[in-house]
Amino acid sequence: MSVEIELPSIFGRYTENKLNLKVGGKTVGECLKALFGQFPKLKELLLNKEGKLQRTYDIYINGESSYPREMTKPVRDGDKLNIVFIIYGG
Amino acid sequence: MLTEKELQRYDRQIMLYGFGEEGQEKLKKAKVFIAGSGGLGSPIAIYLAAAGVGTIRIADHDEVELSNLNRQVLHWEEDIGGGKADSASSKLKKMNMDIRVESIARTITGANAARLVGDSDLIVDAMDNLPTRYLLNKTAVEKRIPFIHGAVYGFEGRAMTVIPGKSACLNCIYHGATAPSEKFPVIGTTPAVIGCIQAIEAIKYIVGIGELLTDRLLNFDALGMKFTEFKVKRDPACEHCGKL
Repeated sequence: MSVEIELPSIFGRYTENKLNLKVGGKTVGECLKALFGQFPKLKELLLNKEGKLQRTYDIYINGESSYPREMTKPVRDGDKLNIVFIIYGG
Repeated sequence: MLTEKELQRYDRQIMLYGFGEEGQEKLKKAKVFIAGSGGLGSPIAIYLAAAGVGTIRIADHDEVELSNLNRQVLHWEEDIGGGKADSASSKLKKMNMDIRVESIARTITGANAARLVGDSDLIVDAMDNLPTRYLLNKTAVEKRIPFIHGAVYGFEGRAMTVIPGKSACLNCIYHGATAPSEKFPVIGTTPAVIGCIQAIEAIKYIVGIGELLTDRLLNFDALGMKFTEFKVKRDPACEHCGKL
């Protein structure tokens, strides 16, 4: 099981500029857990104290939103996850 | 009716298939509300003025600061300390003497948003914070006029067009989530790209050509130099547009 994760460029500072990664997992939550295993700082950014996705982030599975209950959404081999943060600047 | 000067000035866009003199007349009659005259608002206003949008109403309560000038190209060193709305208005009037530019040096609030937008045909989002974006999104929904969203951060930008009652609105996709309004990093070319996308969405809507950026959130990643589209859809429970 291999799932591609694409990170926003601002995460580059936490991932040695690796923005496209492959991880294993059957759900979005499992994939994120694998991601955090490589880059623990991302867990602080993405999850709140209850282990839920911060509201300032969205996760898209193959280009479609996984909201709500993102962490339990199933993923398949070859799927692509995009982690997107809500930007507000103008 | 277009004047001889207008026929010459807009000749290259009147030539466009589906545009013609009829499209130019639609632009001439259009009223566009631009919320903000900063990094996004500058290219939006410049290209709408250049295209011949008849009335541009631009709102900004800020004053020009030196640190704005890397991206807010409507404002120059000589404008530092002055109001952005007037600075923007004076440049746009020099750029195109035949259009009407209305500057509003007021903070957009829940109490005045509907009045400030007035009878504008559409709202273009060039704000620097999420709460005012939601407010403008809601105002657009209530007035049943399009809301053309844009936002930037660093080398990333995003854009989406909202047609109330027909396509997903900002609240449908962000569900009221907010981010702290802090000083954000940005290179001027990012809002330049997103602002131009917003301007062309406004032009397409007014003229009635092309396919609008509805139910699609467009993400621009300048570092990777790629555009990504995310499918979005209306939320039947949306507090802004769910009842439309």
